[in-house]
Order: sequence, then C-alpha cells, then structure tokens
Amino acid sequence: MIALVRAELLKIRTTRGWWAYLVVIALLTGIRVAGEVGTADAFDRDTADFQLGLVDTVGVAVLLAIILGITIITTEFRHGTVTPTFLAAPHREQVIAAKAIAGVIVAIGFALLSLLVVFAVALPWFAIVGAEWNLDGAEVVTRVAEQVFSAVLWVLMGVAIGAIVQSQVAALVGTLIWIFVGETLLLGLFGLLDLDGARAYLPFQALDGADGTGGEELLAYWPAIGVSLGWIALIGSAGIERTRRRDIT
Amino acid sequence: MIEVEGLSKRFGKTQAVAGLSFRVEPGTITGFLGPNGAGKSTTLRSVLGLVHPDAGSATVLGVPYRQLDRPLHRVGAVLEASEVHPGRSGRNHLRIQATAAGLPASRVGEVLALVELSAAAKRRVKGYSLGMRQRLGLATALLGDPEVLVLDEPANGLDPAGIRWLRDLLRSLAAEGRTILVSSHVLSEVAQTADRVVIIHRGSLIQQAPVAEVLAGAQGATRVRSPEAQRLRELLAAQGATVTEVGDGALALDLPPERVGEIAAANGLVLHELTVERATLEEVFLELTGGETTE
Repeated sequence: MIALVRAELLKIRTTRGWWAYLVVIALLTGIRVAGEVGTADAFDRDTADFQLGLVDTVGVAVLLAIILGITIITTEFRHGTVTPTFLAAPHREQVIAAKAIAGVIVAIGFALLSLLVVFAVALPWFAIVGAEWNLDGAEVVTRVAEQVFSAVLWVLMGVAIGAIVQSQVAALVGTLIWIFVGETLLLGLFGLLDLDGARAYLPFQALDGADGTGGEELLAYWPAIGVSLGWIALIGSAGIERTRRRDIT
Repeated sequence: MIEVEGLSKRFGKTQAVAGLSFRVEPGTITGFLGPNGAGKSTTLRSVLGLVHPDAGSATVLGVPYRQLDRPLHRVGAVLEASEVHPGRSGRNHLRIQATAAGLPASRVGEVLALVELSAAAKRRVKGYSLGMRQRLGLATALLGDPEVLVLDEPANGLDPAGIRWLRDLLRSLAAEGRTILVSSHVLSEVAQTADRVVIIHRGSLIQQAPVAEVLAGAQGATRVRSPEAQRLRELLAAQGATVTEVGDGALALDLPPERVGEIAAANGLVLHELTVERATLEEVFLELTGGETTE
C-alpha cells in the first residue's frame, strides 16, 4: 500500500499541472490577503477577528483540493494510464485508497502553502503600516487545523466523485454545476417544501459547515464533519463499486 | 501457463468473444492471430484481469491475474502504445510503474537501455513517435523481469528496422525461457517469430497448432516444368488434375509431387523442375477465416 501511495504521489508530481496548482493557490491566497489588508481600515486591522479572517483565506485551498481529488482519478481514464495502473495493482479498491491517501497528503500541503502565503503577504504589510498582531496562538492553531481538515474533506469528496463519474470533463463541470446551480436550486426547493432543516444536509452545505468558520443555516462544526464524511463514504463506496466492475478496454 | 477456458464477453450488441478456449504452453512464443475486431484485445484484457468475462475463465500461471502476488514480477504486458500520460517523460512513466510494483529505481535505466530508448528518456511522451511509444510499452512490460509476456500488436508503428529489432528481442526473451503471447494481424512477423499460433475469428477459435503444422496442413500447389509441357499437361489432366499455366513454361496443379513424378517417369518425360509451393501463413489465414481481409 505504501508503494502504491508513493506511486500516486509521483504521478501527481510528474505532470505540469502540478505547478499550476501551486501557482494558483499562491496567487489566489496572495491576492485575497492583499485585498483584505489593503481595504481594511486601521481599527479593523488590529482586531483578532479580522486577523483570524486572514487565516481563513487558507480556505481557497479547498477548491484546488476537490479539483485535485477529481483529477487524480479521471486523468487515468482520460489518458488510458488506468491500464498500467490496474496491471500493477489489480485490486482496484487499493488504487482508489492509495489515491485518496496521496490526495490527502497533497491537500494538506496545499493548505499549508496557502497559510505560508497568508503570512508572507500579511506580515511585511502589517510591519509597513504599523498594524498590531492580536492573534491568540492557540486560536490560530485551531483555525489552521480546521482549514487543513476542511481541505482533506474536499479532496476526499473529489476522489469519491472521480471514482463514480470517471470522465474528467463531466466530473469537473458536473461538480461545479452541482455546487453553484444544483444545490442552489435544491435550497430553493427545500424552502418551498418547508424543509428548511434539510438544507444544511446537502453535501456541499455540509462541507461548508465543516470548515470551522461557521455560518447561518449551516450545521454545527462536528455534525457538519459527520454529514460530510457520510456523503464521502456513500459516493466513495458507489465509486469503488463502479470502478471494480468496470471493463478497462 | 496461460489458459483460456470457454471465455465469452459481450459489449452491448457486439459479441466480442464467444466461448473461446486455448492454451499457451510455457517457454513458447505463441502468435495470437485474427482480423481486427476478432476479439484479440478483449481476450488479452480478460487474461490480464482488466475485462470481466460474462462466462468462462482466463488464468495466468494457474490463477486469475488478480490473484497473482506482485503481478508485474510475474507477467508483463503491452496493450496499447497510447496508454501513457502525454505530459510525462518516458523515464517518469517507468519510475511510476517501478514504484507501484516495489521495484528498484535502477530497473528503469536497465529497461530503457534494453529497448534502446535511453536517449529520449527525459523527453515528454507527447513528442514520441508511435515506434518509440511501442518501445516504452515494452520497457514497461519488462520492468519486473516477468516470466510471462502478453503483447498486443507490439509491431504497430514500428519501421522495418524496428520490426526486425522486435523480432530479435522476442526471440532472445523466449530463449531465456519466457512464455510470450503476442497478438498480431501482420502475419509475416508472427510466422517468423512464433512457435505456435492461435487463430481466432469473430471471437471463436479457428485453429491452435504449431506454425509448421498450420503451414504444412495448408494445400500448396505443385509446380512442374518440362520441355514437353503440352504432353505433360494432357497426361496430368487425364489423371484428374486441374492444371494451369503459370508462365515461364511452368504448370501449377493440385496433385502431390510424388504423383506428378510417377506420371512423368511412366511416360518417359523429362522434368526441369518439380516443387511444392508453400502456402504463406497469410493465405492459410485467409482460407481459414473465409477470406476476410485482415486490415
């Protein structure tokens, strides 16, 4: 299993897309932090709330994490590399598990890279404008841990979706449409049906609630993690079943 | 070694393989022949655990592929030359397979040298010719130094020098005691390399036999040349032979050469030539599969 995880990590590192992920994370984080610090007034800037908000910027990593999770699987079907992969590891569920573990490792790296950029931008800026840091160390650690775990959930969701959809374009586009259109429509529908309580249980509402930043109409932190893991397990096991049965032609 | 037993597989409306059974004996090169669409790839992919048969079984080294411990150490396969990520270098493709199989990184350099691809190893596969991809595929198959090789159309895209190189490589691999199953629709290359052939058509077995036997069993024409061609022709026709003139004063007919010699001797005729024209594997194949083209 360790060999398979190492092979999966090598697959991620040996294509050009790898650099694109790192660049996009650094840019998204940097631009957003710069924007927030630049537009905040001096009073806000000094508050712990604002500064924790900067740490929350690490949340941009979740988007890249789900794209990575989907791509880890679908790229193999797209380029036919799934054939050598399954020849090396004919127990296909092991391949998916190895991909999930490799994805988790890389997603944690994404979140930490993003965190690095947050401070790389904010620290000198704060020093220049003479702002004061009022963050509590323990609070930062908790918030970072929550953000990192959120990226882990998103990459796992991506792997689960990739395992079941398998077509790269369909999985990526379908997921985006689901997040921005599908769930929005369902939210409205649930409202009409007087099922407001069910809204927070939708997969990406649950994931949204599982990032530690809270939010109205979302589940509380731990229930949100539980529901997210439930969705991942459900979609993931269907994906594993589909992958096991599939004829690789 | 490789055993296919009553294998059937249907894709939608297409019956790709229909009750196919054959064996590949250890230490031989077996040519797996059939026109395109005969079910060769489906069969090979079933042997390798990639396709789930509807019925029947396929085993390698006595067990289904999925039950092999460390499969890349036992069985090497080349299926399609395009099954490599175009953005990855050939070397990295091999490193990934070696890592997954728990093979030492040194094997990568060794197999690259073996298939004469070392110079292009760091280039991205996107820029490889089809022939180079075939070589990379062979390198992948040989990574684990396997005792069984399954190759699907490995000569596709190779130039004549490459085909000759492949033939020599397969021979030396077989000389080391490996079992090789190689599919092809280019028959001449199989005729020169394989010990045995398995011929399939529309998913069913047509024949499995040693190459020599297949060729010998095919009805070849007898060719005879005589200064008294006209008289010989009449005599032969009188014996019930169908005789045709094939130019150069020679006659082709469907009697065995022994019979022709006897008739000539009995009538005191001089013969300048008496030979049997061997049917090529190509002709045999066309005859067996009902004349459908192989392209």
